[in-house]
Amino acid sequence: MTVLEYILLAGLLVTAIAAPLCKRLLNTVIVYLAFSVIMAVLWSLLQSPDLAITEAAVGAGISGILFFLTLKKIHELKGTKDE
Amino acid sequence: MSNTPENKTLTERLVSWVNGEREPKDQTLFVMEKRHRQPRRPQPSDEEHEEQERHRFRRFLRGFPVAAVMICGVLVAVLVWAVMTMPAFGEAGNPINNEVAEHYLEYTEEETGATNAVTGMILSYRGFDTLGESCVLFLAVSCVMLLLGRDAHNTDEHDLLKIGQEDTIEKQAPDRILQQVARTLIPFIFLFALYVLINGEVSPGGGFSGGTILGCGLILYTVSYGHAATSRWFSAAIYAAVRTFGLLLYAGLYGYYIFMGANGLESTVHFSMAIDLAVGLVVACTVYGFYTLFQRGEI
Repeated sequence: MTVLEYILLAGLLVTAIAAPLCKRLLNTVIVYLAFSVIMAVLWSLLQSPDLAITEAAVGAGISGILFFLTLKKIHELKGTKDE
Repeated sequence: MSNTPENKTLTERLVSWVNGEREPKDQTLFVMEKRHRQPRRPQPSDEEHEEQERHRFRRFLRGFPVAAVMICGVLVAVLVWAVMTMPAFGEAGNPINNEVAEHYLEYTEEETGATNAVTGMILSYRGFDTLGESCVLFLAVSCVMLLLGRDAHNTDEHDLLKIGQEDTIEKQAPDRILQQVARTLIPFIFLFALYVLINGEVSPGGGFSGGTILGCGLILYTVSYGHAATSRWFSAAIYAAVRTFGLLLYAGLYGYYIFMGANGLESTVHFSMAIDLAVGLVVACTVYGFYTLFQRGEI
C-alpha cells in the first residue's frame, strides 16, 4: 500500500508542476483533471471516502466540463475556430 | 431648477444613477478641456510610442520571472514552516484527539440517527453551516443567470444565428457513438446518484456528491441528445421550482429540527435522508444550471 501511495504522491507532484507549464490551455486542463483523479484515489487511501467521491465528481467531472466550455467560448479548442 | 446636480436630493440622485443617466462629476474638468493649452512635452508619434511600450514590456518580462520565483519561494517557505509547526500526522497524543471528537464518534448514531459520522456532522451538528453552503450555491446560480442569461433585451442576431447553427448541426449529424454510450450509461449514473443520495446517512457520500453526480448525468444527457430534449421535460419553470423547493425543504426541515430541540426526530422521519435529498436537488440544479447557462445562456 505504501508503495502505491508514494507512486501516487509522485504523480501528484508531477501533474501539479506540469499543469502550469503546458503550452496549450487544453493540455493544462487535462493535466489538472489527472491531478484531481490522483487526489481522489489518495483521499480514499487516507480513509476519507466522502471526500474521495466529492473530489472525483467535482474535481474530475464538473470543473472539467466548465473548463472545456470556457475554452470553447474563447476558441482554444481545436476545430472550433469558426470565425 | 431641480435638475442641476447640486439641487438634487440624495434619492433623486440615486434614482438617476440607477437609471443610468450620467451627470458631470466635476465642472472643472470641462473648463480645463476648453482651454487649448500646449502640451508640456511634445506628443510622441505612434511608432515612438509603440517602441517605448515594447521596450517597457521587454524590461517587465526580464524582471517578471525573478519576481515570480521569489514570491513563490517565500510562499513555499511560509507554508513549509507552518506545516513543520503542526503536530505529526496521526499520532495519538495530538490535540485533535480530545473529548469533542470522541463524543462525536461515539454518540453520532445515537443523537442524529446517521451511521456515517461525517453525514451526521455536516447535516445535524453543523447543519446550519450546510444550509449556508446551499444558499451560496443557490445564489451562485442566480448570479450566473443575471450575468449570462439571455432574454429579449440582450440577444442580438449574431448569438441567435450561432445557436441556430449549432442546433442544426446537432440535429442533422447527431453523434451516434455518444448517444449509444449515453443511453447505456445514464440510467446507471442516475441510479448511482440516487444511491449515494439516499444512503448518505449509512455510507460515504451524501447530498453534495450525490447531487453532483445527478447533475453530471443531466449534463451528459443534454450533451448527447441536445438541449431541446432536456428542456422538454426540464424547462426553466420546473428548474426554478426544483431548486427553490430543495432550499425551502432544507430550511423547513432544519428549522423544525432546531425548534423541536434538535433531538428525537429520527424515530418518525429519516431526517438525514430527507436533508440529503434537499441538498442533492440544490447541488444538481446548480451544476446543471452552470453548464447550460455557460453553454447557451438559458435553462
